[in-house]
Amino acid sequence: MRIPGVAIITSALGSLIERPFRTALTMLGIIFGVIAVFVSLSLGEGGKERIRENLDSVSARTISISPNWTGRSSRQRPWRPFTENDLLEIQSLNGVYAATGGLDSTYTVVSEASDWSTNVRGIDTSYLKAQELVMDRGIPISDFEIQAKSAVAVIGSSAARSLFPNQDPVGQRVKIENIPFRIIGLTKEKGGESWRGRDEDNFILIPRTTGRARLFGDHRLARQQVRSITIVGENQGVLKQIEDDIDRIMRRSRGLTPDEPPDYRIFNFSANRQAFADTMRTVSLVILALGGVSLIVGGVGVMNIMLANVTERTREIGLRKALGARRSDILLQFLTEAILLTVISGIIGLILGYFISQTVADMDQMKIKYSWTVIMLAFGASFVTGIISGFIPAFNASRLDPVEALRNE
Amino acid sequence: MAGPLISVRNATRIYGKGEARVAALDGVSFDIYPGEFVAIIGASGSGKSTLMNLLGALDKPTDGEITISGQALSKRSQRQLADFRNKIVGFVFQQFQLMPRKSALKNVMMPLQFRRPRFSDEKERATQRLNDVGLGDRMDHKPTQLSGGQQQRVAIARALVGEPEILLADEPTGALDSKTSEDIMALLHQLNDNGQTVIIITHDPEVADAAKRVITLRDGKIISDQTRDMAA
Ligand SMILES: Nc1ncnc2c1ncn2[C@@H]1O[C@H](COP(=O)(O)OP(=O)(O)O)[C@@H](O)[C@H]1O
Ligand SMILES: [Mg+2]
Repeated sequence: MRIPGVAIITSALGSLIERPFRTALTMLGIIFGVIAVFVSLSLGEGGKERIRENLDSVSARTISISPNWTGRSSRQRPWRPFTENDLLEIQSLNGVYAATGGLDSTYTVVSEASDWSTNVRGIDTSYLKAQELVMDRGIPISDFEIQAKSAVAVIGSSAARSLFPNQDPVGQRVKIENIPFRIIGLTKEKGGESWRGRDEDNFILIPRTTGRARLFGDHRLARQQVRSITIVGENQGVLKQIEDDIDRIMRRSRGLTPDEPPDYRIFNFSANRQAFADTMRTVSLVILALGGVSLIVGGVGVMNIMLANVTERTREIGLRKALGARRSDILLQFLTEAILLTVISGIIGLILGYFISQTVADMDQMKIKYSWTVIMLAFGASFVTGIISGFIPAFNASRLDPVEALRNE
Repeated sequence: MAGPLISVRNATRIYGKGEARVAALDGVSFDIYPGEFVAIIGASGSGKSTLMNLLGALDKPTDGEITISGQALSKRSQRQLADFRNKIVGFVFQQFQLMPRKSALKNVMMPLQFRRPRFSDEKERATQRLNDVGLGDRMDHKPTQLSGGQQQRVAIARALVGEPEILLADEPTGALDSKTSEDIMALLHQLNDNGQTVIIITHDPEVADAAKRVITLRDGKIISDQTRDMAA
């Protein structure tokens, strides 16, 4: 029994195989087109994803507030610290991932081996989370130490290296302003510098209560309760709302009338966010341009090859019509040929594109993202070019009277 | 005697417009009956091919009517004309018009793929036709591996494979040497002896002499239409 679909595909395949050179060239054109689109879009999407991850990183989601002690208002009003109650209210806001408040100052810290100037921070239990710090060894400062105002400390990795070269800092003792502290933990290296250019691992953490009672008490900032508050939002989207809520809380807490200027400052990373967003837009545009260009190049190649063959194929169409082919026979045949050609090449292109982008990504440590959209886009584009260039000439030729088509020499 | 197989009435084919207007065929009328062997002769440019293309429904007349097997071609749809070309006529071209990359067998089978309903024994039919034209041992050869005469035999086999009522051949020996031409003509006569209606265009007086009927064209008009008694 004859299955019409199979017969058509077999005959289309035969027709493709009869012209190996042309078929190979056309396939190459489509394959290159698909590879170019697929690789550039996959790498591009990966790049966008990486930027998005950066945007969602803790530092990009951080808001910090501090009392404003500059400007005219300081002359009229005394400088006021925040309270622990402010912090509690902020911590209970919707969308807050972590909020921490404390006091800090720079001291010369003395160990048996050396002494070292570092930032001593009185913290609460939310601090590590808000700063994305994790313990390397030992234990973090807990509510117990905070309640007991214990003289314990957790040390940052670069402060530890300076104070205890080639030694395990955990269990050691340091003196800050002559007060002995026992080191109970070491944090993992965070690496890099903060946006202010500060060494991110040069610090010593102590319970906020201990600091307030025994250390900062002699300091210029003696009566402040919480010097600054750092808030990390759950995601980018909630930051604006959190800022508005903080404003509301602070105005009420500090008894400001609506027309008074605030005596505190809210810092956010919206500038960074804007830069990220701009970069993202640029990346998208570049990718779009790359994909578009490779598409056009591939498409023009395919069309060239196909159109170069129109004369021969027009004669073939004339002959087929002279032998009794209906127009639908011609269209079906050429459509099948074009589809077979583009589908086979498209699949080869996707497979090669996958390996190429994987290799490129491995070489440059780039991130790749494969998505159905990209696959469909690469495939669809090749499909459309293939169909257009293979089918349109056939469509036109099939309209001619057989003599006219046959005359095409 | 039965009615004519082909009836041409006032067939006119005009190319171009204005200054460039050429009446390639200018009001031609004649009938052809089943089983005839007709040679169409005339100087180059006299309109022979134009007439043949109209008979094969490869082209449409500007004016006039051609009726074949009782069906007026002008009243047929595109689709019916396609089926007409597939079933009723077999066309042999001067330049063979074979598919260069297909084997002789594939070339001969080609018209069968457009037949509705399709035959279940396409390959057998094509093989039979190739045997008839003496190419049973060359079926897998591509046209480039065949001589001119062999290629024209393939083309004749292809024209016959659909068992057409009329075989149309436009200078089938025009591209062949005289010995090969004789063979091809013998083949066509043999077909005609078996009842096949044959219409052939030729330049060759010998070929024309062998035909029972000769229609002569000049400047798109019939200037003579002679039927000879071959029995004599
Ligand atoms: N496609 C065409 N366009 C314009 N003129 C044509 C075309 N085909 C044929 N002719 C003209 O029609 C006339 C008859 O041509 P044709 O039928 O091919 O003659 P023959 O086959 O007898 O040599 C010639 O003058 C030729 O130039
Ligand atoms: Mg001619």
